[in-house]
Amino acid sequence: MLKINGLEAEIDGKQILKGLNLEVKPGEVHAIMGPNGSGKSTLASVLAGREEYEVTGGSVDFDGKDLLDLAPEERAGEGVFLAFQYPVEIPGVSNINFIKTAVNEVREYRGLPNLETKEFMKLLKEKQQLVELSGKLANRSVNEGFSGGEKKRNEIFQMAMLEPKLGVLDETDSGLDIDALRIVANGVNELKSADNAFIVVTHYQRLLDYIVPDFVHVLYNGRIVKTGTKELALELEEKGYDWIIKEFEEA
Amino acid sequence: MATLTLTDKDRFLINQEGQDFSHEAKTFIKIRELALKNLKELDFPTNKLEDWKYTSLREVGKTEFRPQSATNIIADKVNAHKIANLDAYVLVFVNGFFEPKFSEVVEDKDGDFIVTNLNKAKKEFIKLVEPNLGLQTRAEDQFFVNLNSAFSQDGAFVYVKAKARLDKPVHIINLVDGDLVAAYPRNLIVAEKMAEAQVVVTYETIDSEAALSNVVNEVIVAEGAHVSLDKIQNENENTFHIGADFITQGKNSVFNINTIPANAKLIRNNLNILLDGQNSEANLYGAICLNGDIHVDNQTFVDHAKPNCESNELYKTVVNDKSTAIFNGKIYVNKIAQKTNAFQSNANILLSDDARANAKPQLEIYADDVKCSHGCTIGQFDDEALFYLRARGIKETTAQKVLLDAFIGEVLDNIKLEAVREYADKLIAANFNSKN
Repeated sequence: MLKINGLEAEIDGKQILKGLNLEVKPGEVHAIMGPNGSGKSTLASVLAGREEYEVTGGSVDFDGKDLLDLAPEERAGEGVFLAFQYPVEIPGVSNINFIKTAVNEVREYRGLPNLETKEFMKLLKEKQQLVELSGKLANRSVNEGFSGGEKKRNEIFQMAMLEPKLGVLDETDSGLDIDALRIVANGVNELKSADNAFIVVTHYQRLLDYIVPDFVHVLYNGRIVKTGTKELALELEEKGYDWIIKEFEEA
Repeated sequence: MATLTLTDKDRFLINQEGQDFSHEAKTFIKIRELALKNLKELDFPTNKLEDWKYTSLREVGKTEFRPQSATNIIADKVNAHKIANLDAYVLVFVNGFFEPKFSEVVEDKDGDFIVTNLNKAKKEFIKLVEPNLGLQTRAEDQFFVNLNSAFSQDGAFVYVKAKARLDKPVHIINLVDGDLVAAYPRNLIVAEKMAEAQVVVTYETIDSEAALSNVVNEVIVAEGAHVSLDKIQNENENTFHIGADFITQGKNSVFNINTIPANAKLIRNNLNILLDGQNSEANLYGAICLNGDIHVDNQTFVDHAKPNCESNELYKTVVNDKSTAIFNGKIYVNKIAQKTNAFQSNANILLSDDARANAKPQLEIYADDVKCSHGCTIGQFDDEALFYLRARGIKETTAQKVLLDAFIGEVLDNIKLEAVREYADKLIAANFNSKN
């Protein structure tokens, strides 16, 4: 599904990704861990098409398409979804209008007709329940005045509405209490299927108790320096990153 | 013998002469004479005047605009300027002249309200017009207000008796048809004690290569009365529109105005509100979305003359292409106007390198127990919000429109008449989309 090959990217002239390789197949969950500043969020941003980042080398193939050649909205249409680390507040745009516009634009991209209001409302209710998002938030401005947990649940809710092939969760667990974490993880697990895949960017092993990864990658200095299974995450939790960095630098 | 050199102003004023107002009652002729006298003394506004720093009228002074009535006006061309789904008493003026065959007048002297043209009201309802017409005397120094006072052809007269309510809104349609037209429509709206009225004024063009629309609206909102005025300026790109509104409010009154300058070559608005009774409230909203090469200059003046009054002002502007938006908002709080609440906000979004916005808030406060605030911002659409929308699959142009609606919507939400709101929405969307 996703093949990242030798990806290099910089922001404001500073190189962050320095030849990153990663392959994700349908049905897989990949966790990306690593110390601060290793490039985790940059990877998520580059995949979603954030314009501040300049790709200076490598390639990203998504189901046979050159992902880097697509505008952010086209990537979403193709089925890439980024759950933001810091969801943006948009005053004056109601959550429900926002998601309705997004659903219909994505459907248009995929050659599907607009959803009838009735179908849309049904889908909306179903997906709100999935992440235990209060219906009251639908009429509020996007993320405005939402609690930290509500914002993150709103991200997963949007993901559920847009049915992506690849969900990229950028530190979705940061700032969440254990209840919110469980709800968010449960939402992701419900959405998981043999046809889609997830990249979970996180600092902490905690989230991986709930979203069990098939692979755990350690990102350091713009490259993946170690790959393992969920046990690697436990080891990192216990021992930190220093031993991997040391191992990598000595190699 | 002194040599006589005619200035641009002299030539301009000579061109406006020739209308016969001798049939009017003396009291109204006096208003015209006073205005003419003021015009002789005043200079044509230039950029040297602080109030005209950013708006140049040189071209107006050099163009041979003249009052002229339009002939052969076709119903279809007038009907095209009605607002869809707006159930209203419609009054139509072309080049400042009343068009009775396209208008619905209500002239019941004993009834609750009168909706007619001002010239007729000056004859038949002189007692209602005389005490109210000419509040412009608090703008003796304003050239274009005097110009309208001196040469106004006609206008609307809307009168609502004490405790009565206009059962439908009044829609005053002002059209321009012909070249080098100088139109001076003047509307007088009087809401007596506890009366209620909703008035919509639109300014549009049938066809014109060059026009001057010099308009004045006077509104009297007596004690406890409620008046709302929606003002939509949508003339063609050959038109200079110079307008002034004068509102005088009695105690416990409420006045709402929504100003939507959408199209013209140049639009200048002077909105003057006098809060002349305790506990009165004024709400001033402006929604501006410009594209192409339009120059819009909004000047507002809220005079808190009495204690315990409130004013809320919000002007929002989106400027694209080579257009310019100017906002100059002044709040004046008299020394006796304690417990004044006065709020003003002006937010501008620039979408192109050549777009310009100038914002100048002014507070002049002489009372010591007041709450006043003002804020001006000039910026762009929030890049983060734009990316967030796009990351959810929303096309860039749609995403920008979503942000525009959110930004301007805060202003347009104050238009209470749904049909007018839709009309304004469409104008704004058309302006936004024309270069997108």
